[in-house]
This record gives sequence, structure tokens and C-alpha cells, in this order.
Amino acid sequence: MSNFSVAFRDSDIATILAVCGELDAHTAPELESAIKKCVDEGKIRLIVDGNELEYISSAGLGVFMAYIEEIRALDGDIKICALKPKVFGVFDLLGFPRIYHIVETEEEALSLFNQGIQPV
Amino acid sequence: MSVLLVVQARSSLPYILSKTALLSVFKRFWRWLPLIGFPLLFIGTTGFAFLGGLDESSTLFQRIAHHTALILCFLCLWIAVTRLVRNSCPTPIQTFWQTILAILGGSFAAFLAFQIPGGFADSTPAASIVYVKSALLSVPLAGLSFFVVQRLGLLVRFRRTRRSERNWRLMLLFVGIVSLIAIPLHLRNQFEIDLGPYGELFEILFLLSSITAIVFILMNSIRLAWIVRLSLKEKGAAIALGAVIVGLLVCVILAAAVNDITFVSTTLSLPFDFLRFYSAPLTIVTGLFLLFGLIYALTSVLSLIFHLPTTGDYRKSTDEMAAMQTLAGLLREVVESDKLHQWAVSTPVESGHANMAWLTVQNLESGSLTPHIVASRNIESERVNELCDVTAIHNTVVQTREPVLIQNTLIDSRTRKIKSGKFESLLAIPLSTRTEVLAVLFASSDVVHAFEREDVGAIGVFASQATLVLENARLLEAKIERERLANELAIARDVQQRLLPQAMPELPNLKLAASSVAAREVGGDYFDILELGEGELAFIVADVSGKGTSAAFYMAEMQGIFQAVARIESAPDIFLGYTNRALGESLEKNIFVTAVYGILNCHSGSVSLARAGHTPAILVDASGNAKLLHSEGLGIGLDRGELFGDVLEVEYLMLKPDDLLVLYTDGVIESRNLEGEEFGYDRLLQTVQAARNEDAQGVHDAIRQTVDEFVGTNERYDDDLTLLIIKWHGRKILSGGTAQTSLS
Repeated sequence: MSNFSVAFRDSDIATILAVCGELDAHTAPELESAIKKCVDEGKIRLIVDGNELEYISSAGLGVFMAYIEEIRALDGDIKICALKPKVFGVFDLLGFPRIYHIVETEEEALSLFNQGIQPV
Repeated sequence: MSVLLVVQARSSLPYILSKTALLSVFKRFWRWLPLIGFPLLFIGTTGFAFLGGLDESSTLFQRIAHHTALILCFLCLWIAVTRLVRNSCPTPIQTFWQTILAILGGSFAAFLAFQIPGGFADSTPAASIVYVKSALLSVPLAGLSFFVVQRLGLLVRFRRTRRSERNWRLMLLFVGIVSLIAIPLHLRNQFEIDLGPYGELFEILFLLSSITAIVFILMNSIRLAWIVRLSLKEKGAAIALGAVIVGLLVCVILAAAVNDITFVSTTLSLPFDFLRFYSAPLTIVTGLFLLFGLIYALTSVLSLIFHLPTTGDYRKSTDEMAAMQTLAGLLREVVESDKLHQWAVSTPVESGHANMAWLTVQNLESGSLTPHIVASRNIESERVNELCDVTAIHNTVVQTREPVLIQNTLIDSRTRKIKSGKFESLLAIPLSTRTEVLAVLFASSDVVHAFEREDVGAIGVFASQATLVLENARLLEAKIERERLANELAIARDVQQRLLPQAMPELPNLKLAASSVAAREVGGDYFDILELGEGELAFIVADVSGKGTSAAFYMAEMQGIFQAVARIESAPDIFLGYTNRALGESLEKNIFVTAVYGILNCHSGSVSLARAGHTPAILVDASGNAKLLHSEGLGIGLDRGELFGDVLEVEYLMLKPDDLLVLYTDGVIESRNLEGEEFGYDRLLQTVQAARNEDAQGVHDAIRQTVDEFVGTNERYDDDLTLLIIKWHGRKILSGGTAQTSLS
């Protein structure tokens, strides 16, 4: 009973991962393998589109941390956009906005990539 | 008085008159009767005739009396022979040997009787010396025929049934009837006594009973159940001995059939007329019995010859039964899988169905799709793949749950022909339970078309039994493993519980209450209290991301750090910074820890508090104003550099009397009810506000109760759930509090 899915979409600058549903301990491996696949293919500019993300647990947050060092070492980044307020609250509580770019829209994330701005 | 007399009279009766004594005397008499009766009657009748009591002038009454005496005489002999044979239980081969010896012995005795002076050729049957000679000749012949019937009778009644027992008795009965009916006919022919209208009746009865007797003789002659049990060697011996019996009996019967008196003194033929004159019924009984012996020996020999080829089949089925008995033994004891596998491959080979066998199991737990060979017989496991495509056949059997039968390995793509000719046909049978195929049993033979439907059936039955044993063993193993794991987890749970405070410290102006419930046996939540001296108290609530065993290890590490570091570097920013460095080393990349840590001065009510990504602590004052202490701070493990310390904010508070500090983990906020709705901050705040006038324990209980009611019938929480309530009473009271630590 997986009520979670990840859709890939490549733009000129970055790869957009549209996540949908609930990201918890059971579904986290799906996103993790999706990110791993991107990294393996050399796609290191990733945008996670959280428009359809209904819920995230601590295990779900862990996925973002798993590859971030590796990606940033390659001069790439994971940026997060269009989170629902409740989901953003979870990111915020943990201090994610201090480490990740969490923005309102996909365009904002793309332009951050364009400008080559890295967080921290 | 009279009663007493009667009693006395009874007790004084002689023992010999008591019923049991009479019975024992009668029994003893009965036991010896035939042994005494036969010689007495024989000598009596022979003497009577020899002394001239039986000649042309004898009356009918005398003759009938004489015949009756002879019948009784040979009845005694019959009973004596029966007694002789009754208690022994020889094998068929022994029976045949004894029969041969009896025929030879009887013939020898008859030969001796011939040597008595006085020829048959020139005498009438009534002549005294000839009569004696006939009598002496009849005894060995009768004894021989009785013995043959009694001995062979044991074979006839092998595995006796009610029906076979009845047929046997009816045969004896009709032989007796025939011989009795012969008496009047004999008297009429010999002495021309007119029987009137009864003559024809007797003839018809004689004919009918003779036919019946022969029918029963034939019926009993085809009871040959003992044959299947013999081995090939024994069958060979039985055929030879049976043939000898047939030969000997043919000789005896031919001797009786050559009905020429002139031969008697010179050849081996029997003086039939004389014997009949001596006792017609006895002659008929002897004849019919010898006939039975001949027919039975003949059918035995023929049947033995026809049964020679089926010897192997019988052996096969007895081997199958032996295998089943081994199985029954295995069912009773607990055995390890290896032994069971070995037994499963041995049975088809030992029962003669196959020359090689092996067992394949697909170990899904190891993730391998290739079945591996767990046991093999008459072939090394490594060599099996040289014979056939084990994986393909295994998978076919598992998918269809039906046996795969390859009658000729030459023409099937899944098998390879090998030169040695040891692998010609192959049978693969599933060992399946209702839900899954546990293993596949392969049996191969060195001939093509070796497995007929019966063999597939037999191995199939065996396979289902084997499945039962394997399944039992597997379930047992799984149960043991489960229990072992449960034990391990129970130990882990005990250890973890001891890491949490067992009781709340006694502190002035302050009351504490806390609890921690793990979603699984062990959890990742942590709370602790530490007295730092001078009325200062360090407190912490932390949550390792994820739950279960891995979280429990980090929780333990967290406890170690708190107990060690808080004593030395108690300031929140320093403590959390140190913790981030220490834990950051060991945490997996996708694991983080959140914590709220603070220092409280019991005397002044001053609090310094920092939040590392944790759910914000709640501060509620006596008038119900609630506030979430949402200071900045990253989760521990998110950043392993300087950022953590840069971001971390320390909040300083001055508590008013009866202020409440509520620390909790996200398990409280994220508890869901049956509709999937989260408990959330609002409900928590409302609950704390409503219960603010209770003491720390009361607030704690109110929150737990509200959460429990909200969650409803969900017995377990989705996440670990921890609460720590601190109530500062100002400088009014001096008391401690209680801690509840429970891990569900």
C-alpha cells in the first residue's frame, strides 16, 4: 500500500522530482533510490517539487540528507519548492531552511540554480 | 440347625465330585482318548476279523458294527494327527519338506506292510491274513493323507478369513459325508444286500456329495496367499519341492488306480479292492485327501512360477512400507532439516523406484532465484547440473504445482543424455503445502519409461508425507527463531528502560512527571534529568529519527553524552554543540536527532533553554497563557560544521510560580486517530491549558489520557511518545515527583 510516487522531469538546468503523497519510513526508500538514480546519471541539480506532498516524517527528511554532501561536493544541489504549509512546518522545525533552499515556486528554484547561488 | 448341617455336608463332599475337578478329569481323558482309542480299536477290529469274526456268514449288524468301529478308530487317528500338527507353525518351505518326508515315510511303511507273508493275488479280501495286511497297509496311507491335508491346510488358511475357514471346514465335512454314504453302497455291492428304493437315492447322494467335495477341494486349492511373501530364492526352492510332492503323490495315486490284483505282489500298485473291502469310507477319504494334496501342490507350483516376476514388486511395496515406518518415527522426534532432506532423497532410492535422487529448495530469503540442492543420493550435488536444467524444472514444478515426468532424457530439452546410461528418465515431484512449494524432489532412473503412474503415485504419497515433516520442522525452527528474537528484544527493552530515569529527583519548589512509550520493543526517544548541584537541574527530551533497533542505539549514545557532558558543560549552547560534534561522527547520513535541552534553577526559577530541531517546548502560566518556545536551532546531525553553533539560539526565561514547562516528542503531535487525523499542536495546547491547575503528574496524565482517547482503538502508537512535565511552584513547597517510564 504505497501512497507515494516520484515523477521525473528534466528541464534545461535541473531535474525536477515531483513527489506525491506521504513520505514516511516505508516510502522514503523510493525517493532515496530516485535521487541515487539521478546522482548516478550525473544529474546533480535536483529540484524536489513538494506541491503534492501531503506528509513527511523524520525518515522522509533523512532522505534529503543522505546525498546532499555528495551532490554539493560535485557542485550540485537539492532545492525544495512549493511545499504545503504543514509540510514546510516540519522542514522548518528541524532547521532545514538554514541548510537547503526551500522556495515557493519551481521558477525560483531554477533561477537560484541559474544564478549559481548555494545555501550556507 | 438344619442350615448348618447342609453347609457341613456340602463342604465335606469329596473333591472329585466338584464340577471343576470333573471337568479336568474329562479334559485329561479327552486328551489321551485318541492316543489310546486308536490302537485299542485297531487291534480290536483286526483281531476280531483275524480270529474269523468276519466272514461270509457275518450278519449285517456285525458288519455295520465293524465299520463303525473302524470309523471311530481312524477318527482317533485324525484327531491325533491334528493335535500333532496344530501347535507348529512352519514356513512354506518347511511345510513342503515335512510333506515330502511324510509321503516317503508313509510309502516306506506301506512297503513294509507288503512284506508280510500272504499274497493278495491268490486270496479273497475276506481271508484273515489278507485282511490284516490290508489293515496294516491302510494305516500308513491314511496317516499320510491326514498329515498332508493338515499340513497343507495351514498354507490354505494363511491369512485366514471367516470365509476361507468356512470353505476349509466344508471341504472336510463333504469328504466325510461322501465316505459315510459309501458304506451302504459298499455293502450292497459286496454282499448284494438289497437296499430297495434307497439304492438309487444313495447313488445320487453319493454323486452329489462327491462333486461338492471336489468343488471345495478345488476352491481351497487356489488359496495361495503365502506365495507373495516369499523371496525369489524361496520361491525357487518351493517350486522344486512342490514338484517333488506332485511327483510322489502322482505315484501313490497311480499305484492305487492300477486296479489289477495280479500286479500287487510284484509291482508297486496298491490292492485297491482289498483296501476297499477293509474299509470303504477310509479308502475314499484317503483318496480324496491325496487328490487334494496333489491338486494343491500342482496349483502351488504353477502359481509360484507365475509369481516369480512379481517378486520385485512385492519387495518394493514392503520397502515403501518400511520407508513410511521410518517417517512415522521421524514425525515423533524433532529432527534438523539436513537429516530430513537426506531421508527424503534416500527413500525413493531405497524403495527401488529410482537409482538417483536429489532435493532442491529455493531460498527466497537469500534473494537467490536459483534453487540449490540441499541433499542428494547416489550423485554428488555439484554434478546434478550436468544431468539436467535443475532451475528450469524446479521452476516449472513450483509454478504448476504438478510433477514433471521426463520418460526419455534423450528427447527432452531440459535434460542431457549422459554416456554411462545411468540417467534415462526423470521425475520431479513438488513437496507442497496448501500455500507454497517447499521443495522439489527429483528421482531419476537408469531405464527409459521407468516411472509408471503407480510409481508417480507412490512417490507422490511419500512426497506429501515428507512435506508434512519438513513443514513441521520448518515451523518449529521459525518458532524457535521468533522466540529467540523476542527474547533478544525483551533484553534490549529492559536495557533501554534502565537508561531512562527510574525516579524523579527530589528538588525544592519543583515537581516533575515523565513517561516514554516506544512504538516497538525499543525506541529512539530519550528523556533525562540531572541534578547539577546548587539547585540547578539539567533536563533533556530527545528524539532519534526513525524507530526501532537502530534508533535505540543512537538513543543510548545520546544518554551517554548527556550523563557525561551535562555535568561538565551544562550551558545549552555548549552542550548541544558538543553533542552535535560527538553524535555527528557516528550518525548515518540520513539519521538525525532532535533535542530540547535546558537548565533550571529551582530557587530562582530561571531557565536557559535551547532547541535543536525539536518540537518546541510549551510554557503555560497559571492564568492559562500558553507559548511555544520556538527558538532557532538545527537538528543534530544536519550540519556537522560551524553552522549548527551559529544557528543555535538560547532562550532565557524567568518562571513565575505555578508555571508549567511541557517537553514532548513528535509522537504526541503526530499521533493519529482512526480517520488519519493528527493530534496536532492545538489539541496539545488546549489540553495543557485545561489541566494547568493540576500538579505535574496531573498534567502528564491528562495529556496521556487525551492522546489515548484521541487515538482510540489503535493499541499501539505509530511513533515513540515521550512527555516531560516540569512545574515550578515558586518557593512555596519542598518536594520531588515521580517518573513513569514504560515502553510498550
